Amino acid sequence: MSNDKLQIKKLYTLSSENRKLSFSLPLKHTIRIGKRDYEVKLKSDEKYGTYILWKNRKYPVEVVSSRQNKYEILFNDISYTFTVETPFSLQRKKVLSSQKGKVEQEFIKAPMPGKIIDVLVREGSNVLRGEPILILEAMKMQNEILSPVNGIVVKVHAKANNNVMKDDMLVDIKVE
Amino acid sequence: MELSGKQYKAFNEREEALKKQYSPKQAEKQHSKGKLTAYERINLLFDSGTFEEIDAFVTPASLPVEFGKVEKFYGDGVIVGHGKVNGRLVFAFAQDFTIMGGSLGLVHSIKIAKIQEMALKMGTPIIGMMDSGGARIQEGVASLSGYASIFHNIIQSSGIIPQLSVIMGPAAGGAVYSPALTDFVFMVNHTSFMFVTGPNVVKEVLNEDVSSESLGGAEVHARKSGVAHMIYDDEENTILALKKFLSYLPSNNVENPPVVNDDNSTPDINEKLRNIVPDDPNKPYDVKDIINLIVDRNSFFETAELFAANLVTGFGRLKGKTIGVVANQPKVLAGVLDIDSSTKGARFIRFCDAFNIPILTLEDVPGFLPGVDQEHAGIIRHGAKLLFAYSEATVPKITIILRKAYGGAFIVMNSKKLGGDFSYAWPSAEIAVMGPDGAVAILYRKELAQSKNPVELKKELVKKYRDKIANPFIADESGYIDEVIDPAVTRKKILSALNALNNKWVKVPARKHGNMPL
Amino acid sequence: MKIKKILIANRGEIAIRIMKTARLMNIKTVAIKTAVEPNAMYLSFSDEVFDNSEDLSEIPVFLNIEKLINISLNTNSNALHPGYGFLAENAYFAQKCIDNKIIFIGPSPDAIYKMGNKTIARKIALAGGIPMAMGSEGNISNDDEAVAIAAKIGYPVIIKAASGGGGRGMRIVRNPEELEKMFIIASKEAEKAFNDPSVFVEKYIENPKHIEFQILGDTKGNVIHLGERECSIQRKHQKLLEEAPSSALDSKLRKEMGNMAVQISKAVNYYSAGTVEFLLDSDKNFYFMEMNTRIQVEHPVTEVVTGIDLIEQQIRIANGEELKYKQDDITFKGWAIECRINAENVQAGFAPDPGKIEKLSMPTDSCVRVDTGIQAGSAIVASYDSMIAKLIVSGKDRKEAIKNCKIALDKVWIKGTKTTLPFFRMLVRNQKFLDGTFTTSFIEKDLEKYYYNSEYEEMLAAWLATKLFIEENLNDNSINVDFENSKEMSPWLLNKRINQF
Repeated sequence: MSNDKLQIKKLYTLSSENRKLSFSLPLKHTIRIGKRDYEVKLKSDEKYGTYILWKNRKYPVEVVSSRQNKYEILFNDISYTFTVETPFSLQRKKVLSSQKGKVEQEFIKAPMPGKIIDVLVREGSNVLRGEPILILEAMKMQNEILSPVNGIVVKVHAKANNNVMKDDMLVDIKVE
Repeated sequence: MELSGKQYKAFNEREEALKKQYSPKQAEKQHSKGKLTAYERINLLFDSGTFEEIDAFVTPASLPVEFGKVEKFYGDGVIVGHGKVNGRLVFAFAQDFTIMGGSLGLVHSIKIAKIQEMALKMGTPIIGMMDSGGARIQEGVASLSGYASIFHNIIQSSGIIPQLSVIMGPAAGGAVYSPALTDFVFMVNHTSFMFVTGPNVVKEVLNEDVSSESLGGAEVHARKSGVAHMIYDDEENTILALKKFLSYLPSNNVENPPVVNDDNSTPDINEKLRNIVPDDPNKPYDVKDIINLIVDRNSFFETAELFAANLVTGFGRLKGKTIGVVANQPKVLAGVLDIDSSTKGARFIRFCDAFNIPILTLEDVPGFLPGVDQEHAGIIRHGAKLLFAYSEATVPKITIILRKAYGGAFIVMNSKKLGGDFSYAWPSAEIAVMGPDGAVAILYRKELAQSKNPVELKKELVKKYRDKIANPFIADESGYIDEVIDPAVTRKKILSALNALNNKWVKVPARKHGNMPL
Repeated sequence: MKIKKILIANRGEIAIRIMKTARLMNIKTVAIKTAVEPNAMYLSFSDEVFDNSEDLSEIPVFLNIEKLINISLNTNSNALHPGYGFLAENAYFAQKCIDNKIIFIGPSPDAIYKMGNKTIARKIALAGGIPMAMGSEGNISNDDEAVAIAAKIGYPVIIKAASGGGGRGMRIVRNPEELEKMFIIASKEAEKAFNDPSVFVEKYIENPKHIEFQILGDTKGNVIHLGERECSIQRKHQKLLEEAPSSALDSKLRKEMGNMAVQISKAVNYYSAGTVEFLLDSDKNFYFMEMNTRIQVEHPVTEVVTGIDLIEQQIRIANGEELKYKQDDITFKGWAIECRINAENVQAGFAPDPGKIEKLSMPTDSCVRVDTGIQAGSAIVASYDSMIAKLIVSGKDRKEAIKNCKIALDKVWIKGTKTTLPFFRMLVRNQKFLDGTFTTSFIEKDLEKYYYNSEYEEMLAAWLATKLFIEENLNDNSINVDFENSKEMSPWLLNKRINQF
């Protein structure tokens, strides 16, 4: 049986506003505008740090975070979030989202009694798995309560400066 | 490729039939669900051109009783074989959901058992990619005994070769035990499930409506049950992570873990380490910030991240050599030890011990989580597991006390008398029988009750306690830790300690096995 | 010169600003080192440093009157400059300096007190015939009074705190039903922020421009103005960009408003530098708002168009010298724009983004002036403020100033925190800004997007993300593992391991 690797010829990079940019592989070090190709170079030095050189201009760039295939890039002082998908994983995303039947909700409850110090989200906020959503003071320490899922906050029960008991409802999140 | 001559006619026909069996139309069945085919997964895992399949042409066993149809398929729904992963010999099997639902029949299980035995003989890791509907009903008891032999092989190999499972589809009923018995379980979000009794039975027996995802999806097992250690959003990322994970592990329990070529970009002395633990002992911080500055840059691979997040476990590298890291996480539940974190830590430590991986413990623990729930659920038993695992382990064990180290938790987290090899403390360490507030309340109860200004007095006494009793210099001067160190030189200290412990050898007591509380 | 040594009771860019001028005047300066920023840039610009880094109290030394007086006396500084913020407008502090024979480089405690209390300031303005928004004569003691006055003035009205500003204790009320509730809220907020629940009511002027006049006065009673500054680009009452002059004023209006500014300053016998704030409505009517009795953050734009060093003037005035400029001596040349570059995340609603500045490079063109207290390696400390630098760009007219600003902004290079640069890059391309027709509601109402990025920037960022993904995931030998190395083991160990089983 064929031993070829999953032949990936193209990658799709999706921005947070769902703009889809495609890059064919192997990745070229040029970007095409109209009929001309302009060279892109990733460089780094003592004076400027990391930057991208394009059309004779230097642009400061930082990789703020990278997790699996999600990247947050700070480019010329503006932050962009991208997910890089292979054709297969893009198709998989489409399949899974079309299958979505019941809307899943995640109910965040207090893991122990304490006092709410700060609520970091509000109704309608987008949250990513692992992001802190509120600060609970307990056991004499400030604990971050992290979101267990990617989703949208639908209801916030917790209020700053309120005391809560174990299992009190704090935040409801609609899973995405 | 056509071979000439009549003799080869059968050979060619068979090749054709196999190709037809794995046609693109078959593949579409998986792709339309967002899943890869078994062959695609194998190809992603192994280095190009290195996979050698075994028993591609076996056919299902003939049925003892005529019940239901079993079609004649090649391979019996599982692909097994060996190949190189990043240049190292590894055995793997991948169940094929498109063939009879990937169900386990006798021949299917014999194929798996075959490579399990081979892996054990060669002393190489084995990887199982599960995507199966479960036991093949038509084959009855033969299927069940097929599972039994697979489980038996896993147990025979446990602690001798690394065994990893990747769940890429359903795994229900008895089938879930084979991953549960292996060392680490990877799951794929939304398209893989594990449960002993499925939603249909739950609905029938308990009249509870629950989806596969919420009963036994990847998130559930990563966060709540602790059965899955690593989960990813799609199959490609899962397999790529698996390959990366494998590079930390030795091939068997006699070898040392592999060494990666280190680019020497991680500084041995780093002043940033001085600024992470806040001055205020009640302010939390992220212990992973410390871990990332100690291990080689970008080398920390966390396991069971979402389960018992108050204890961080994972593998890192020091100058290219693998170490296991166990660290209390102050920003979750104040870093206390509880039932889940005790069992998580104990299992991780025992894996490291089995496979010659040194253990680095970073300690900042105020104690065990108090409460009726924990006590009634047996925190005593489960906490004891962590103690047992630490003491039993004979690999090099190094502890760095970052901040709090109170009472029982101090003992449990790899203290010297428990068998720790080197114990260092940062100047911010507080080592004591109990925290200052509790201690002051007990020792000065009368004075506080009679004082005109108890709040001020308590503040004063707490400060005195911190200065006189809970500071690490006392422990250092009495020899209960080895040295109080400047946080900036932590990595350097650990490297030299590991160097000294390179040939550590401790004889294990002559017994079948200890009786660890379970 | 009476003033021999100045204690700078401040930090960051303004501390450096004062020190630079003092050096030119051959006056010694003392800086105070704190535990919060022991390696701050300002510490290397003074002649002496008083080390206060052992002091770990919650209250910053710059707010501690007793400590500052003691440090002055300890270092033999016979003058003190409070900068802006902190205790700059604290009449009690100014008096305490004088009582201890320390020359306070600022106005008299009396002027600070009178102008610091908005209701007193309004009374003085009223008595002087200065145009003001109609409002209550004094503080409102209860909501009934508020309702009565509001009815007389006509809605919309604004409730303001008597003892402070910056948006706190302020509420806009558009209809009578809300007044009672808003009165209570504003009062409570004022009490929390300024320890004084007193509020007064004023007519609310919709979408005004915020125009302020720079004042200089001496102890001999001479007061002049140095022209206006356009400060309407504000977000939640915090200024982001300032200009001198304003495109909304012609020389006639400038003369009229300037005279009013001088008049109100004279009414409190004002000396030193000060700023009189006005609101300008769409019909070019102006109304006195308040007076700031200190040097302001945005003073550089006035310095650029008038050519006068305001800090030098402050020191001379404090020294007892007579102002050497008469009103007719003041001329304005060219146009200046100041951008306050802060460590804030524009995409997250200007949320502060504290951190360490890793790299910092500012343009050095002749039309650019940079006032900063931050260098590469400096930390932006959340407890102070989020300012990284003030970028002041000039041109022969507004059009050229904006053009130079656009070029300069693209040359600013900051790495380590998110900054407000994308906001300014958007602003200099925004039509309403270019027309000059913006008002204080510009940011809240007239902007759809708060930042600027050119077409290709997103694509370049995406290219980088893709490159990283490929490097991490798709390269065959992404892991450089040596499997043979692990087989080399000392015979001692190997022997033991094998025999144990």
